[in-house]
Amino acid sequence: MIRTPSRPVRVGVALVGVAGALSLAGCGATTAADTGSAQTDAGRTDAGSGSSSSGGYADGTYTAEGSYATPESVETVTVTLTIADDTVTDVEVTGDPQARESEQYQSQFIGGITDEVVGKSLDDVSVSRVSGSSLTSGGFMQAVELIKAEAAA
Amino acid sequence: MSDEARVAGGPRPGWRFEAIGTQWAIDTHEPLTDDERAAVLVMIDEFDREWSRFREDSTVSALASGGSRPLPADAEAMFVIYADLDAATGGAVNPLVGVSLEALGYDRSYSLRQSAPVNAPADWRRVVSIDDRALTLSQPALIDVGAIGKGRLVDLVLDHLEGQKQGALTVDAGGDVRCSGVRERIGLEHPYDPTRIIGVVDLEDAALCASATNRRAWGDGLHHVLDARTGVPVRTVAATWAVAPTAMVADAAATALFFEGGAELAYRWGVEWVRMTTVGRVEWSPGFGTERCRAELFT
Repeated sequence: MIRTPSRPVRVGVALVGVAGALSLAGCGATTAADTGSAQTDAGRTDAGSGSSSSGGYADGTYTAEGSYATPESVETVTVTLTIADDTVTDVEVTGDPQARESEQYQSQFIGGITDEVVGKSLDDVSVSRVSGSSLTSGGFMQAVELIKAEAAA
Repeated sequence: MSDEARVAGGPRPGWRFEAIGTQWAIDTHEPLTDDERAAVLVMIDEFDREWSRFREDSTVSALASGGSRPLPADAEAMFVIYADLDAATGGAVNPLVGVSLEALGYDRSYSLRQSAPVNAPADWRRVVSIDDRALTLSQPALIDVGAIGKGRLVDLVLDHLEGQKQGALTVDAGGDVRCSGVRERIGLEHPYDPTRIIGVVDLEDAALCASATNRRAWGDGLHHVLDARTGVPVRTVAATWAVAPTAMVADAAATALFFEGGAELAYRWGVEWVRMTTVGRVEWSPGFGTERCRAELFT
């Protein structure tokens, strides 16, 4: 069973932490579609605050950088807001995500993917040796046991 | 040599011992003499005395406070590979990751007491310098060559023994295996069930190295494969296996495959591989299971 599934891009989820105020939903920091949805949401939010008479923001363009860690990478995004008359008139989110997973998984570098590996019992297969995580030294394992014992005490 | 003679399983007296924190198996066509064994142990000890951050008397321990030490023989070969690993993984693999491992408790005394994660110095190439005679650190830093050191040592031992012994030769350091003049059928241990294997690789005059997060682990989500940029253990990939002409390159690729960019680096290096993610998905390289790399996965 070999297939190449399309996966949600993790970057989109993590971005909410950085740009959550913009209600940036969906996935992929760099696609035009996502920038568009951010614009829509931010515009909606500001339409409400714009009706207030107590404005406090100077017109102009504001840029801020944010970074966040995914399990295997550190991602950076740049958010640019354009404000006029206390209303956000433009939002731009750009980034250079390290983890372009959905792209990579369909690339030339990967030959195949399967979601299910049954495996076989070592008793049923003839092999000359086994390779996995290296067996560790007695010292390390003793330390692990000590920690467990202390944690249980 | 006839095909039959190359198949493992004939009379190949093995030598088993523990060194550098792992189990070794060295199988030769003719038994190793006591002197030959002693020479291998000296070789391993010399490497350990230079590169082990678990030894107070090692070169890397002496360099932890910065300064210069006589140039270890393998420094250049290993730091060249680290430069490639660093570039390919966007900085996730870094030879100064020792500080990150210590922060999580994987230190010389195996304290296994976790502090806040610490990232490794991203500009390690400015911190580490080598010339004809010396290895120099421009500031205090802890070298950890865990990503490739064991592979390098397997290569050193195999190359040394090839000059001593005729015929089939296999060096296996805790599952990092290189063989010469023989075919080994190697099971790929399931990272979540050591009684099972997820596939087999038929290894011939090449090296297979593995890396997994299950055994060198000391707490919830705490294990030895860290992202040097954050100092936090990886969570997406559970186990990797890589096949290459040398164990150092296979070991390096096995580490890179925990990170984005690893598959591309393997492609550039011509390394074949398999990896399993923590949700059980298995991926493999285009050449895995082909003429380039005879192998089978039990899907």
